[in-house]
Amino acid sequence: MPPDIRVHGLVKHYVVPERGAGLRASLRSVWRRRRRLVRAVDGISFEVAPGEIVGFLGPNGAGKTTSLKVLSGLLHPTHGRVDVLGFTPWDRRADFLARITLIMGQRQQLFWDLPAGDSFQVNKAVFGIDDAVFRRTVGLLTELLELDGLLTKPVRQLSLGERMKVELAAGLLHGPRVLFLDEPTIGLDVTMQQRIRAFVARYNAETGATVLLTSHYMADVKALAQRVIVIDRGRLLYDGALHGLAERYAPHKTITVHLEQPVDPAELRGLGEIVSQEGAQVTVRTRKDEAPAVTGQLLARLPVADLSVEDPPLEEVIEQVFRGNRT
Amino acid sequence: MRLARVIWAFGRAALLDETAYRGELLGNVIRSALGIAMAIGGLAVVFAHTRVLGGWTMEQVLVLLGVYYLVNGLVSTVLSPSLNKVVQEVREGTFDYMLLKPAPSLLLASTRRFVVWHVSDVVLGAAVIWVGLARLEANVTLAGAAVFAAAMTAGVAIVYAIWLALTTLVFWFVRVENITMIFNLFFETGRYPVEVYPFWLRQLLTFVFPVAFITTVPAQTITGREPLVVLWAAPLIAAAALLAAVRFWRFGLRNYTSASS
Repeated sequence: MPPDIRVHGLVKHYVVPERGAGLRASLRSVWRRRRRLVRAVDGISFEVAPGEIVGFLGPNGAGKTTSLKVLSGLLHPTHGRVDVLGFTPWDRRADFLARITLIMGQRQQLFWDLPAGDSFQVNKAVFGIDDAVFRRTVGLLTELLELDGLLTKPVRQLSLGERMKVELAAGLLHGPRVLFLDEPTIGLDVTMQQRIRAFVARYNAETGATVLLTSHYMADVKALAQRVIVIDRGRLLYDGALHGLAERYAPHKTITVHLEQPVDPAELRGLGEIVSQEGAQVTVRTRKDEAPAVTGQLLARLPVADLSVEDPPLEEVIEQVFRGNRT
Repeated sequence: MRLARVIWAFGRAALLDETAYRGELLGNVIRSALGIAMAIGGLAVVFAHTRVLGGWTMEQVLVLLGVYYLVNGLVSTVLSPSLNKVVQEVREGTFDYMLLKPAPSLLLASTRRFVVWHVSDVVLGAAVIWVGLARLEANVTLAGAAVFAAAMTAGVAIVYAIWLALTTLVFWFVRVENITMIFNLFFETGRYPVEVYPFWLRQLLTFVFPVAFITTVPAQTITGREPLVVLWAAPLIAAAALLAAVRFWRFGLRNYTSASS
């Protein structure tokens, strides 16, 4: 099957006015505007297969949102070729727009003073969804997202989490094949985040929709994406399996041992890098390939009560990736 | 057919949204009635000193005033709410969702909001036209009415084109609330026939910011006045203005940068 998304050499530069802080700088900028070129996306290429969930990672300003906006047809790129479901997104053909959705955690499309059900009716008409399909979809989404009772309340009366669920539903009424989710869990509490995550996973499993997701929460990415694309400053740093990221950028393991009683630091010599030693708890960092040997030595040399071997947390790995890029 | 359903769906939602502010109905009726009463009073004062104004009799100016209010009513019912919404959405970043809908974005952007209460201006404007014509004892033929309707349509198309072009500036400047002010400044001149203005302003209002085609030309077609300019120029200018405004809008969309997260 051909890929759903094909991006080749995507570049998006903006020219933005620039001015210093303060009154004088503001006044000066009124007649003499300085401009600055922002390379939001600077030549990235990747493909996404049908049904795949890909996590799109990067710090603020990395170019994630800009990329999603180009892919969904909102922005014209400066250079590059993009093909989504066989369409060039920024032609904004109706049959393209009917097959995709862009859901932004920080933006709303629902009418603020009306119950979401009324906004759904608007989308039903705009997307030309027929009655039976509409009823079935709303039923399914109501079940998956637990929307009971939320669709008849004015949107302004919903909590942030409830609103996000309803926004998600509004963006999925037309049964899109490709989902662009931009920070769908931002600002939500942990339980609600989990619920949204579980929903996306189930939606993907049941409909086979392709999902490209950005999030600041590594838990979102870990729970949903097998594959991640990491970008920083508009450039692609990594594209591959999530676990491969740790192997490439943080090829070490963290071994934590609880001892029966505290030991002299001298006894720990030669056991890799000691990250911390607090009372009877010792944390050691070691290269991945040496982890078995170090574990063995720890067990042989020390009175170990409990021991765990862990991969470094994803946040730390990502940080490692960006640090590597910036130095 | 499908398009009609889409517009209806938006219209319905806008209507529901507005019903939250029912109290505005009365306020608006009073506001438009007072506005028209004062304008007519103003005319009465002017015509107490003179029998003609720029060659127009009081009854003819009354018809023109009616045209002004009718067009103004259409603008404030549909056009300005919809296009102001575009300005607001571009600034807030929610205009993205408009562009993501598989429907003609320009048409939706121009029609999707309406403030139903402002229909009172349309109704009162029509009433003033009717009174003016009655006092003129004008014999309006079917053909005459058709020409008037055509001239009105051209006028409304020109108003739309100007509004759209001003709104399109939002893609570069983001804050353009003042465009309503600019528009109103020029549009206000349409309360009087362009003949009353000095030569340079008359030229400006005919060829640059063609207010003349919005009120003066329709009014003269039905009050039996000598045409200011050849009548067939109105639809041509309207078509040209529309075409230019739509192209400008498309060009603006290409430059749309979307508010960043």
